[in-house]
Amino acid sequence: MNNNHPTGRIVAFCCNYTASVATDTLREAGLIPESLDVKKLPCTGRIEVPALLDAFEQGAEAVFVAGCRADECHNLSGSRRAEKRVGYTKKLLKELDIDPGRIEMFFVHCGETQPIVEAVREMTTRISKLERLHST
Amino acid sequence: MIIADQKPMDEILEMISGIEKLLVLGCRGCVAVCSAGGDKEVGVLASALRLGRKKAGKPIEIDEATYVRQCDPEYLEPLKKDGKKYDAVLSMACGVGVNFIADRCPDVNVLPALNTSFYGANLSSGEWAEMCAGCGACVLHLTGGLCPVARCAKSLSNGPCGGSVGGRCEINKDVPCIWHQICKKLTGRKQDQLLREIVPIRDWRPSGHGGPRRRIREDLLP
Repeated sequence: MNNNHPTGRIVAFCCNYTASVATDTLREAGLIPESLDVKKLPCTGRIEVPALLDAFEQGAEAVFVAGCRADECHNLSGSRRAEKRVGYTKKLLKELDIDPGRIEMFFVHCGETQPIVEAVREMTTRISKLERLHST
Repeated sequence: MIIADQKPMDEILEMISGIEKLLVLGCRGCVAVCSAGGDKEVGVLASALRLGRKKAGKPIEIDEATYVRQCDPEYLEPLKKDGKKYDAVLSMACGVGVNFIADRCPDVNVLPALNTSFYGANLSSGEWAEMCAGCGACVLHLTGGLCPVARCAKSLSNGPCGGSVGGRCEINKDVPCIWHQICKKLTGRKQDQLLREIVPIRDWRPSGHGGPRRRIREDLLP
């Protein structure tokens, strides 16, 4: 696990149909930052709260889930389910006195790469303003 | 089923403040069905506690397990020995499970992770409502199957109070007046003669006011 990036590691759980396609394109173009650890899912509706917390336990400074736009999900409600689980994880982080902004849900239209670039930028900005969760 | 809810995280963290080795122990009975203390919830709580303690600079070693039930002695048997390996066992069962561990495994330091709330039904995914108060003297045959003990804010036995408006309870407009529903149902079934019967003052002893309750079925005793 690489946790030596100046701002820390970011884990992205990406839908196989949309966000993963975007990350592949960005990776080919050399635009995926070293700090980003992309985990592909068949559908973001598959993501469960323990996996999101585990990413933090394993050293992530920030986590985001990137799924289909709510009305474009291949599994109809997958990304909406993911959004709820991200919301629940935010609540848990808050209870643990950890900034809930360390986790976020993003919606991506198939073929778009810009939302992923913006998501990474947004999460990097957020964690750069916070104290490190994990020592390097 | 028994409905429970996880205690606030700060209360649990305070409870385990001096603990260095913890077992988070779920139950696959009611609390798993109501998504409060099954395998998934054990994973979430254990992970959250590890994160919280790490952040506080006091890392904790946590193991996770889930028993079939914590309210039957045979399932608790392994805990008598295994439980001693931990500074504490954080039970995600209802209060019954916590009590039973305390009774049966006296060497185990058992702590509750949940607040046990009520006997309820699953209205829809993620929503449960109280349906029974476990009063020990069921009157559902007189009330169209709707319980005035559990579902009336005042547990009234002989019709609604004067506070209900438009079929809603005076304590909260989101709560239906169960007596309004009972009257409607019995009248619709032409059983309204039941409404004219005066139910005597309730004997609350079977509901627990007579001390801890016990049920014995002679034919099943060892």
